[in-house]
Amino acid sequence: MIFQFSYLLLSLALLMVVSIALRGRAARYLTFLFSILVFTFVVSNNMTMTNFSYGSLSILTLSFQLNFVSSVLLILISFVGIYIPLRFKSPPGFYILLQFLLFSLTGIFTTRDFILFYIFWEMVLIPSFFVIGIWGGGNKNYAAMKFFIYTHVGSVFMLLGIFTMYFSEGAVNFSMATLISGMSSIPVAYQSFIIFGFLFAFLIKLPSIPLHSWLPDAYVEAPYEGTVFISSLLSKMGAFGLLVIFSPIFMASSFSGNPSVPIAIVALGVFSLIYSALVALYQKDIKRMMSYTSIGHMSFITIAVGGFLYLNGSDQLASQLLYYGAVFQLISHGIIIALIFSLIGTLEGAAGTRDVMSLGGLGRKLPFLSFLILAAFLASVAIPGFSGFVGEISILLGSYAVLKYYLIFVLAGVVLTASYHVFALQRTIFGPYNEFLGNITARKGELIAAVLPLAIIFFLGIYPGVLFHLFNIHAIQYLGGGK
Amino acid sequence: MDIPTIFAILIFGLPLAGFPFVIAIGYIRKNYSMYLGTSLVFLSFLISLFVFFNYTIKGVVIQYNFNWFPSPTLPAIVPLGIYADHLAMIMTLMVSFVGFLIILFSVGYMKEDPNRHVFFGEMVLFTSSMLGLVLASSLLMLFIFWELVGLCSYLLIGFWYYKPNAASAAKKAFIVTRVGDVFFIAGIGAAIFYSSGSAISITGLSAIHLEWQRTIVSLLLFGGAIGKSAQFPLHVWIPDAMEGPTTVSALIHAATMVTAGVYLIARVYSVDIDILTTTSLTVILYVGIVTIILSGLIGLVVNDIKRILAYSTIGQIGYMVAALGLGLGATSIGLSIYQLEAHAFFKALLFLAAGSILHAVMNVRDINKMGGLWRKMPITVTSMLVGALALSGFPGFAGFFSKDSIITASYGVSIFAWSLLAIGGFLTTLYAFRLFFKVAIGKPRSHAAEQAHESGWVMLIPIVTLAIFSIIFGIFQQGFYNFVENRQVSGVFGIAQLSTTDLIPVILMLTGLAASYYVWGRKSSIPTKVANGARDFYLLVKNKFFLDVFYTNVIAERGVLGLSAVSDGFERRAIGGLVDSSGRLFQNSGKLLRKIQTGLARQYALLILIGLVLALLLLRIFILMGVIH
Repeated sequence: MIFQFSYLLLSLALLMVVSIALRGRAARYLTFLFSILVFTFVVSNNMTMTNFSYGSLSILTLSFQLNFVSSVLLILISFVGIYIPLRFKSPPGFYILLQFLLFSLTGIFTTRDFILFYIFWEMVLIPSFFVIGIWGGGNKNYAAMKFFIYTHVGSVFMLLGIFTMYFSEGAVNFSMATLISGMSSIPVAYQSFIIFGFLFAFLIKLPSIPLHSWLPDAYVEAPYEGTVFISSLLSKMGAFGLLVIFSPIFMASSFSGNPSVPIAIVALGVFSLIYSALVALYQKDIKRMMSYTSIGHMSFITIAVGGFLYLNGSDQLASQLLYYGAVFQLISHGIIIALIFSLIGTLEGAAGTRDVMSLGGLGRKLPFLSFLILAAFLASVAIPGFSGFVGEISILLGSYAVLKYYLIFVLAGVVLTASYHVFALQRTIFGPYNEFLGNITARKGELIAAVLPLAIIFFLGIYPGVLFHLFNIHAIQYLGGGK
Repeated sequence: MDIPTIFAILIFGLPLAGFPFVIAIGYIRKNYSMYLGTSLVFLSFLISLFVFFNYTIKGVVIQYNFNWFPSPTLPAIVPLGIYADHLAMIMTLMVSFVGFLIILFSVGYMKEDPNRHVFFGEMVLFTSSMLGLVLASSLLMLFIFWELVGLCSYLLIGFWYYKPNAASAAKKAFIVTRVGDVFFIAGIGAAIFYSSGSAISITGLSAIHLEWQRTIVSLLLFGGAIGKSAQFPLHVWIPDAMEGPTTVSALIHAATMVTAGVYLIARVYSVDIDILTTTSLTVILYVGIVTIILSGLIGLVVNDIKRILAYSTIGQIGYMVAALGLGLGATSIGLSIYQLEAHAFFKALLFLAAGSILHAVMNVRDINKMGGLWRKMPITVTSMLVGALALSGFPGFAGFFSKDSIITASYGVSIFAWSLLAIGGFLTTLYAFRLFFKVAIGKPRSHAAEQAHESGWVMLIPIVTLAIFSIIFGIFQQGFYNFVENRQVSGVFGIAQLSTTDLIPVILMLTGLAASYYVWGRKSSIPTKVANGARDFYLLVKNKFFLDVFYTNVIAERGVLGLSAVSDGFERRAIGGLVDSSGRLFQNSGKLLRKIQTGLARQYALLILIGLVLALLLLRIFILMGVIH
């Protein structure tokens, strides 16, 4: 029997209602149940690409699809839904907002209707805004407002793009399949506006430089549990959009095969990588430094998407390396960045500061925390054995076919990324102990919780095939010509 | 999978799977991890022996591949696997054997360290990564272990993490080798692209047809080798890496890490002889030679016992690289790998002897504070003499057969290269015996040196074993060449034919020996006089040709940090400012327009009137201009 998507959405909504009704600590435990439901749904529908169609409501089509990318992202959702309640003891209101967020994300990653997509897309803003605004740090109002307005501006362009598609094609509903397949029939000027609108919205969410300035503030001012889900999941919205929405639109348009837009995307990715590494190198606040790491990791996905759009199916091996690398990078980055931010949370809780310059020699006082930080940073630098390596090396190898000698810029970015990680490690856990910190200890429970993501990172790094083995691949549909 | 394949996987798989247990068992009792770690590497050596003899009898190259990524059921995109031919086997034997001796030595050397369980775990991981690197069947798998080797060196150099020097040396090693690594990545990417995908396994490299493509691929791979093997201009990490425990230095310099780069080039050269084009051969040869001369000169002015050895490593690796750069095909590989293994024995010996000495003199590494140690610790220092003789190529010792064969072989390629290589040999002798004379003879020059005493047996056994190998390894010369070049196992013993050109390096070496005794073996003012006489040149060498200064001050601090400061300023002022000011624009315009909302009905009425008049005026103007009809 197939686990119907409608059952999933209904039961998730029901869980939210129960969480609100029960109040108190129940919300935290119900979040576990919430994630387990999502996970069960993915695993029980693993064998083929599954379409769920539930008729239509006037111009809305209630159709959903569980494809390869969305399976991977739903797994990431269930990971975050398990990890955050495991690691953080937050107020019940937070968990309700978290459930609301996970619910909206589940919608984004599965829906095949543009209006529903837009609604879910905007729904995500609400919990994030409140989490930053209520539990955030000193500058929380500024950060929350900036985050909200900035990303909202992006979605407006996406909405305009959707309407342009709808009206110029004279379509009867907002189904993605119909609208995308009609792309090439409308005037080129409209097409270019649609492509711009979607790209703009997704690049803000990813984020790509220079559309990133909401990110450092949002990440730094959000409470750690908020930073974990924003960095781990919200950045995936942009990546998902690029992979599953933007690429088919581009390939169906009459720009398909035209290299200029893909080249611009790749160039933006390369620039983001180098720029974010350079800025990160100058940060003293380790949380802010790591928020630039997130930009750097996501820029690999930008490079990969631009790369396989550029290749347009001409080099099978390189295209596959780029595509699989990007999908792998999605889940790998989601877990690594969640681990990193929660460890920084533990670090700040223990030492009372997250300024790189006032830490030092933590290896002596907090050996286990230091080990975890070391492992997380090495995973972030993409050392083999950690999952970060698989995605990054696939994209690097594949992008030679696209970039040729310009690969040197990406590689410079890789070296710079390694440099600031190693620099931060040298200043925090290596070196002589900073006696001003006094006698510090870390909470045991927080450390033990961090073992879960680390174990997943190790496992994925050693046996990456599991991701592709468990879920029969239907990703190639976007390679080798527009379908 | 048949039995030899399983065994070949176990060579690196056993210690790789075992290293977490080595650390874990240390939480029960610290000494257990020492024993477990040592026995794991020893087992791995025994398995290598078995696989080696099995190969010599059957002569079948062990090959096994599986699909690592994305899925076992899909067509292979990223295959991993093992490729155990003659070259890989001769390397695994050396790596596991020397690795075992070094880890055995560490049992004595590290026995009081509170974190020794972690240390042994990392040492085992280090050795197993190197073994995996040697047995890799695809460039990507080679790269995976290559990175693990780099990771282990980072962790082990920074093992005494509370020392600021160690922390910064570990960082330096990581970043500098990372620079090399990215060239390796580019090389793999280029190889895959130019061979339309087949070069993802090593044997597919021959599918690269065009000359310029081969040049690009080989030079990029060589760029990786430069970083790992500490060749000019990326050699700067290795002298600083001496901040780690001495046994780590021994492992890095002898068995693992620095030989990885040479092995990489030998590996691709042995599967496809055409991959190194004339251009890349020339680059390789002269990078090797420049490295030899540079490190030989710096080695003469450094006073830290371990740093002298570090510069000697850089120089000796230079000979291996130069041997490959001679471009003699299989002969080059034979010459290079033979030098690699001989060097592994005597360099491990020298480092372990240095470790034993440092253990005795309380870790004072300045050779000016030693002296007269021959009498205090006879076995260690005699072994060190053996190492020094082997290093400088004294006839009869391992270094003579390995290094002088390279020098002689270069005679046929280029006289210029030959003369530089021979001068390099002379410099090697000078610094090797400067080190030895300052350590061994004369009077103790510090309190610690007066109190020195011989180390325990667990440290002496590896030293003496290595000393024996440094003496007798020469007799395998011909058999080694046969095995590596022609894959034949006939004639294990025997040395290569000597020729008259062999005489010149020997004469240079003996001159160097005499000169270093004359200068450093007795009280003499010559070093000071030379230093004062050639002040500029002395300062140039003493400052390591300003390469470190250049990298640290110019590239890192001015270049990268400067750029980083500029980007940060741009980030905050320009991008942040632009976003904020666009926000303010809307807020302020709101503020401005808000003032119209006074709530007074007569003002509203006035505004309406003004608006109406303006609208009518505009309408009239438009009609007059003909815009509206």
